[in-house]
Amino acid sequence: MTDAPSDNFRRVLGRVTREDFVGRVAELDRVVDQASADKRGRGLLLLMEPSAGVSELLRQAYDQLFNRRNEAIPIYFAFTRHETTAVSAAIEFLNSFLQQYVAYRRNEPALCHSALTLQELVELAPSSDLQWIEQVVQLYARVRFSNDTRELVRFCLSIPQRVPQGAGRPFVILDGAQLAEDLNGDLVLGPELLRVFTRSGFAFVLAGLRRQILNAAHEAQCNFERLDFLRLEQLSSEEAHLLVDHVARRQQVPMSREARDLMVQQFAGSPFFITSFLQAARERHTALVSYLDCERLYADELLGGHIHYHFEDLLEEIAPQLDTRLSLIQQLWESCASDEQSASVEAWRKRLRISGTEIDEVLRHLHIHELLNWKGATVDATTGPQTWKDYLKVSYRLGVLNEPRALVVADAITDALKRAPHTMALHYRQLAHLSLREVVSQFDCQRVPRILFDYSAYSQKYKGAPEAEIVQGLEEEVDVLKLPQIVHIATGESFNSDLRQVCEEDKCFVAHGFENGTYSDAQAVIWLVAEIDSKLEVETDLAELWSERLDSLARIHGFRRYQSWLISNEGFSSEASGRLARRGAFSSSKAQLELLVDHLGVAAAQRNEVESPDEFLMVVPMGADNELMAASTVEHIARRLRFDSTAINQIKTAVVEACINASEHSFSPDRKIYQRFRVENGKLTITISSRGILPSVGSGIASKTTTEFDDAAEERRGWGLKLIRTLMDEVEFEKVDEGTCLRMTKYVRNGSV
Amino acid sequence: MEISPSGTVRSHCVGTTAVVYASDYLNKLTGEKIERECRRQLSAGCRALVIDFAETQLVNSIGISILLGIIDIAEKNNAQVVFADVNNQTVELFQMLGLTRHVVLAKDEAEALSNLTGFDSTPVIY
Repeated sequence: MTDAPSDNFRRVLGRVTREDFVGRVAELDRVVDQASADKRGRGLLLLMEPSAGVSELLRQAYDQLFNRRNEAIPIYFAFTRHETTAVSAAIEFLNSFLQQYVAYRRNEPALCHSALTLQELVELAPSSDLQWIEQVVQLYARVRFSNDTRELVRFCLSIPQRVPQGAGRPFVILDGAQLAEDLNGDLVLGPELLRVFTRSGFAFVLAGLRRQILNAAHEAQCNFERLDFLRLEQLSSEEAHLLVDHVARRQQVPMSREARDLMVQQFAGSPFFITSFLQAARERHTALVSYLDCERLYADELLGGHIHYHFEDLLEEIAPQLDTRLSLIQQLWESCASDEQSASVEAWRKRLRISGTEIDEVLRHLHIHELLNWKGATVDATTGPQTWKDYLKVSYRLGVLNEPRALVVADAITDALKRAPHTMALHYRQLAHLSLREVVSQFDCQRVPRILFDYSAYSQKYKGAPEAEIVQGLEEEVDVLKLPQIVHIATGESFNSDLRQVCEEDKCFVAHGFENGTYSDAQAVIWLVAEIDSKLEVETDLAELWSERLDSLARIHGFRRYQSWLISNEGFSSEASGRLARRGAFSSSKAQLELLVDHLGVAAAQRNEVESPDEFLMVVPMGADNELMAASTVEHIARRLRFDSTAINQIKTAVVEACINASEHSFSPDRKIYQRFRVENGKLTITISSRGILPSVGSGIASKTTTEFDDAAEERRGWGLKLIRTLMDEVEFEKVDEGTCLRMTKYVRNGSV
Repeated sequence: MEISPSGTVRSHCVGTTAVVYASDYLNKLTGEKIERECRRQLSAGCRALVIDFAETQLVNSIGISILLGIIDIAEKNNAQVVFADVNNQTVELFQMLGLTRHVVLAKDEAEALSNLTGFDSTPVIY
C-alpha cells in the first residue's frame, strides 16, 4: 500500500508531486511492496512496453520508501546513454549507491543531488557506517587499477551485499535496463546485473523493455522461482485523460477536451509521447484547442521536436552509419507502406548492404523496441505505433526522396488531420461496443438458449416483442446449447493477414476451446467468430462471403472441428439465415448478442467500464440568469427519479445557489459553470464546479470588502451555502487544485411518488 | 394600475398601500428593481407595502436578502410589509432564513389589502 502524501512528505527523486503522478497506482503499490521484509531475496522484473514510461514510477517508489524511514534503504539507479562502457556504468552505480545510502542514513534528501567524490562520502558517512564504507572505498581503489574489468564490474555491482547486517537493508531499483546491454566492454551488463542481483539475497527491482528483460533473465540463468514479474503497458484511456489534464495544467497549456481525447487516442495512451507532446506545446506557447492545433504541433514534433529526436537517437544507435541508416529508413517505410507482413531477413540484409551479424544486431534492436517483429528468418515491419510510422514516412520523404520540406510538413499535417476523425470514431465505436473478444473469452461450458445463435428462429419468435416477454421466453427455452470452454482467443488477422483488409481487428476472432471442459482431441473445437458491419439485415451474398472466409481460414490452418458464428447489427435476411444454417454456421443479431451477454453474466463487468449512462454533463456561462437553465435541467432529471414536487424545488434552489456561489467566489478565468448530474440508485448527485481561485483565497478579498458594506447584508449573502445544506441531504466541497467543486446529493424518499 | 418608471416592475397604489409585483424569478437583478420601486413608493408617502409573489416560481438567497433589506427600509419608514400569494416552496425558504418572523404572509393580494385596512390609524404590528 503506498502512503498518502502528508504535509511533511519530501520529494527526493520524483520529478512531479505525488498528486501529479497519475495512474499506475497498483504498479506503484507493487514496487513499494517489493521492499517489504517478506520479499527478501526476491527480484521484481518490470517488463515494460516501449514508451509506457517507467522512470517516474520508480522515482515515486523511491520517494515513498525514503519517507517511510524504515529498514529498507532505497537506492535508485538509472542507466543513461551517457555511460558508454559497462565499467563506467558500474562505477557510476557504486557512486550512486553510496551517495543515496549516506543521504538516507543522514536523512538528508539533498545529498542525493550533490556532486560528491568517494572521499567526501566517507567524510559524510555516519559514524556507525564509517568503517564499512571506508573499507569499500579502499577496496575499490585497489580493484580499479587491477586491469581486471570483469572483477571491477562485479565489485561495483555487489556493493549492496557489502552493507553489514544491522546497517539497513538496501533495496535497489534499476531503471532503463534496456540501455545496459548496449554498453561496450568485455561483458554484457544486463545479464551480469541479473546474475549478481538474483544471487545477492536482497530484494530488487529491475525495469526494462519486456522483450529484452526476459531474454536477459534466461541468459543469466536466473532462478525464476525467486523472480516476480510486473507488466507495464500503456495507460488506460481514463488514466491517460487524467495524465493529460495534469501535465497540461502543470505545463500551463490551454487545452480543450476534444484535443485531449485525440491526443490520448493518437498516442495510444503512451505517457512518454503524451508528456513530450505537451512539453513541446509549452515550449512553443501553443494552445491545444482544436484538432488543427494538435496536428500542426504533431507535424513539428515529427520533423524536429522531442518525438523526432527520440526516434532519431534510437536509429542512430541501431545504425550509426548514415548510409545504412537511410537504407534502413527506406526499408522500414517501404515494408510498412506495402503492408508486406513477412519478408526474409536475407532480403533485408541485401537491401541494407550489411553483413549477417550486422543485420541480426539491427533487427534485434528494432525487435526489442517493438518497432518490428523478427522471427528467425522473417521480418514483419508493419507493426509499431502510429507515431513511429509517421516518423518513418516523413524521414523517408525528406532523407531518401529529398522532397521539399514544406511539402512534407503540409502533408504530415493534412494526413494527421484526415486521420483524426477516424481515430476518434474508432475509439467511440469501441466504447459503445460490446467487446466480442471479452464475450467469447467468457465461454465456459455455460448452457444458453440455442435460439440466441439462430437469427431466423429468434426473429420469428421474438423480433419486436417487449423486452420482458423476450426475457421470459428465453427463460423457458428448452433447447439449450452448451458452450465450449475457451482456452485461447486471438484476432482473425493474426491467423490470416488478409483479414486485415476486410475487417477491423476487434471484429474477427479465432477461439480455441474444448467441449464439456474435457481436454481431449475429440472434444477440441475452434470457434471462428466474425462481426459484419451492416446497418440492415445482411443479405445472402455478404453472409456467404463471410462464411466462406471463415471456412477458408479453417481449411488453411487444418482446423478439424470448428464452429462459425456470424454476427450482424440487424441480423440476416431469411435467405441468408437459411444458407448459413445449411453451412452449419451460427448467426446472431446484436440484440441476441446482448441477451447472450446477460446470460453469461459478463454484462455488468463490461458495462461498468463505460461511464454511467445516467450521467448528464452541462456547461453554462456564468451570469445572464443561466443558473435557471441548470435548474430547469435538473428538474427534468429529478422527475425521472420520481422525486416529489417539494424535493424537486429544493434541488432546483440548491442548484441555483451553487451556481451563484461558483460565479461569485471563483474569479473564474473562463467564466463557465460545469455541472454533472448523476442518477444513481435512489439518489441524485449533482456536482457544480468552476475554474478559478480557491475559495480560501477569495475569502481574503471578501473580508476586505466586508468593511465597506453593511455587515448584516454581507452575512445574508452567505446564506447560499446554508440553504444548500438545508435543502440537500449531503453537501461537500471536493478537493480541487483550482476553483470550486461542490457535490450535493439528494435521496429519493419512500414517500416520493 | 401604475407602471413603475423602470418599466419592469409592475405596481399600483390602493390608498396609502403600494402593491408591487415580483417576477417569476427573484434574484439580485429583479430583487433590486423591487427594492427600488418600494423605496420610491415609500418616498411618495405610502405607509404599507404589499409584495405580490403570484408569478414567482423561484427565489434565490440574494433575492431573499434583498427582501430583508426592504423590510428594514419599511421599518425605518414605519411602514408595514405583507407578502402575498407566496407558493409553498418559497414559504419554506422564507422560514429557513427567518423572513417569516418579520413579515405578514397573506393568501393573496385581496387578503393582504384587507389585513392592512385601517392601517393609517393603527400601530404597526408584526
